[in-house]
Amino acid sequence: MLEIIPVIAAAFIAFSIGSNDTSNAFGISIGCGALTFKRATIILGFFVFLGIILSGQRVMKTVGEDLVSLNVQIISIALVSSSIAIVLSNWKKLPVSSHQAIVASLVGSAFAFGESINIHTLINIIVSWFVSPFGALILSTIVYVLLEKVLLKKPLFRVERYLKVLLLTSGIVIAYNTGANELATALGPIVYYKLLSSLNAAFFGSLLLFFGALALSNRVIETVGKGITKLDAFSGFAAQFGAGLNVLLFTHLGMPVSTTYCIIGGIVGVGLLKGVKTIRFEFIKKIMASWVLTPLTAFLICYLATLFLV
Amino acid sequence: MFGKIKKLVLGGEKENKVIEKMREHLKYVKEANELLKVMIEKDDKDLAKEICEIEKHGDVIRRDIALYLYEGAFIPGLRANLYRFAEIVDEIIDEVEDTSIAYTLIPKLKEEIKKDCLRVAKINVKMSEDLIAAFECLQSECELKDRTLVIRVREEEVDRIKGELYKKMMKMDIKNYWEGEMLSNFIRHLVNISDLIEDAADIIQILNVSLS
Repeated sequence: MLEIIPVIAAAFIAFSIGSNDTSNAFGISIGCGALTFKRATIILGFFVFLGIILSGQRVMKTVGEDLVSLNVQIISIALVSSSIAIVLSNWKKLPVSSHQAIVASLVGSAFAFGESINIHTLINIIVSWFVSPFGALILSTIVYVLLEKVLLKKPLFRVERYLKVLLLTSGIVIAYNTGANELATALGPIVYYKLLSSLNAAFFGSLLLFFGALALSNRVIETVGKGITKLDAFSGFAAQFGAGLNVLLFTHLGMPVSTTYCIIGGIVGVGLLKGVKTIRFEFIKKIMASWVLTPLTAFLICYLATLFLV
Repeated sequence: MFGKIKKLVLGGEKENKVIEKMREHLKYVKEANELLKVMIEKDDKDLAKEICEIEKHGDVIRRDIALYLYEGAFIPGLRANLYRFAEIVDEIIDEVEDTSIAYTLIPKLKEEIKKDCLRVAKINVKMSEDLIAAFECLQSECELKDRTLVIRVREEEVDRIKGELYKKMMKMDIKNYWEGEMLSNFIRHLVNISDLIEDAADIIQILNVSLS
């Protein structure tokens, strides 16, 4: 009976990722009228499924097998508390990373249980969290400079068409990463504890993510970029594509990193190219605070919850 | 199959419709200016009716463009300037219509005035062609700066002719107030056409950098 709890919690997380992260993938395309919401959701669902099937194994293994020794209580407490945190943060539109919440919850709960924690894997993950936004910053800056040199000299109507194709491409990369990294992080513990088969988890996870996108993501289709710097479609593409390539790289390394934080890194990179004054540092401070507080809070809550409940 | 996927994902039909409508709109600008030139050249006041018809078509095209833009053609960052362009092109046709109506209300032009008015009308036709060429730079590779520079140079030429025309008008014997008023109206509208064409060229330049 207890086995059903983490599955339900993971289902909530998948649904939440769908409702929140469609904006990561297609927020700019929808916002600038290049894609309709319905089309974006269908493309998202398809590429999320493709992402988790083709490239989700490494991240699932890191979170589900390498990080901590799991038992059903650890998975239940970690995923339930993560799902509550993710749903609440989505509701309040806070940029909380689901990776950070899940990883820190698993570590917190395992620590309270006295189960073994693979410090080497944990350090690798934390280093990835530090490095990934900077990687996205550098890649986005390169993408923007290349675009400026190659594309902006072309005739306007042609550039507009290219831009739509480019935004769609970067959206697809992010959607693929959402499956290969974000959803894989949520489903890793369930698959490696053998509560669901890898294929079933991928299928139902993608389906729930799709429904989450369909049901709620219209509410949060606002690019996170609006808050940081005034973003035109080109800058949006550069930030998104740079972040997408970066997350793809980390996915290949099996590291669960946040697409949202990478996009933020990309936006800052493009903003810096346009001048430091274009960046709203107040917003950056809030995001950085959330970046530090999310894993700490998740760790503490799960640690205390485990001590209290078990 | 690929076409269907492309259409499903990217659309693009509305954009093509807008571009075609804009081409048609600009074609009417040239046609109206050519008719005005012939009207002055041959003193054929009946041509004003044809110009008025063109103006009506121009209005319909402007409304169509607005509709397609409202329905989501092009990314939002371009829509405002694209509509502004359609509005200015429509204003050019309106101005040609006003010029032709004013022409029907004045007596036969004196030869020295007619010569200058014809020069301006001919320049307006050339500027219409230049505007079409400038617009095409948004679609295919060409040097937009060169096209808009030609428009600016021609507009300055019209300004010079305008000064000469006013000097000649001041020396004219005017029989009554309305004759003078109508002639003044005609000249004012005629020389304003080039200003509006230059404004339209400026919008093309703004459009060209609006994604940078």
